[in-house]
Amino acid sequence: MKNFFGWLDRNFGIKKPHRRFLYRSIPEGVNYFFCLGGIAFTLFILLFASGLMLAIYYVPSENEAFASILRIDNEVRLGWFIRSFHKWSANLFMVTIMLHTVRVFVYKAYRHPRELNWIAGSLILILAFASGFTGYLLPWDQKAYWATEVGTSMARTVPVLGPYLCDFLRGGEDITGATLVRFYAIHVLYIPLFMCLLLWAHFHLVKQQGVKGGL
Amino acid sequence: MAGVYLFFAFPGRKRKKKDLYVYACDAAELPVQGVRRYYIDYPLRGKTVTKKFFIVNTSKELIAFSSGCTHLGCLINWNRTENKFMCPCHGGQYDMLGNVVAGPPPAPLNRLPLKIEGEKAYIGLRV
Repeated sequence: MKNFFGWLDRNFGIKKPHRRFLYRSIPEGVNYFFCLGGIAFTLFILLFASGLMLAIYYVPSENEAFASILRIDNEVRLGWFIRSFHKWSANLFMVTIMLHTVRVFVYKAYRHPRELNWIAGSLILILAFASGFTGYLLPWDQKAYWATEVGTSMARTVPVLGPYLCDFLRGGEDITGATLVRFYAIHVLYIPLFMCLLLWAHFHLVKQQGVKGGL
Repeated sequence: MAGVYLFFAFPGRKRKKKDLYVYACDAAELPVQGVRRYYIDYPLRGKTVTKKFFIVNTSKELIAFSSGCTHLGCLINWNRTENKFMCPCHGGQYDMLGNVVAGPPPAPLNRLPLKIEGEKAYIGLRV
């Protein structure tokens, strides 16, 4: 096996450009809590993959969204598994990303010169919340509908701009099919795009500045 | 991974539904005028299923209606004093021809094919 990969690498030359990226020195005092960011990123990849699969069968329309969810759960092969997988990965993504934030805070890794990376990380956290919020509406059942009703109503309490903000989020005065399509687009197009850009920046900065050591 | 993806993405073969005509009642038991309620038992995948349906005689034709409300599938009842089919769940109402007259149902009642052969009446179900 080693010979095979050796031969493949001699011809393809994939190891060398990745050496600088993968073989880096790590400071003293690093422990398992430093894995949380990596776990979160792994979960992001799993979410991305299972989301790509769900997108094949999900129909973002007022009349068919819920029916398509039932179809995924009951008729599509492994559909129930992929949907649960997406759901639980999303939950764990939230948990690990917040624990990672706590770890960074406790180890004072947000301080100069890493303040820009803290900002990038905060934006990723906000995007993760937004992704969870928009994804919650997509099953288009009672729980999804009323959760979004409550969530978007909160925007209404913003001074002066509140009502406009709420209408903007809903794509109208009430939660309708327009809201569903809007949330779907945000969930599967906008957020993954900006998330990828921010994650790239996040990792680039880690590479640039190195890992902050123990306390 | 690729195997799981292909297994998931490849369209599953749908079980084709077939028309099944089940005995509903004797021709003599059909309504002469107005609406009559029936229950039938028929086998479905090894179980016995009871179905409730209505047959309406409009004095021009005989129509069989499924009793499932087209809103969310509750079983409707025929209300003789109001001359309407009424759904107990969300107030859906249909007239004698199955058209929606009130409430949330998005479509008229589903009609079932009705066949009278000799002395017996059969209704068609898709199972």
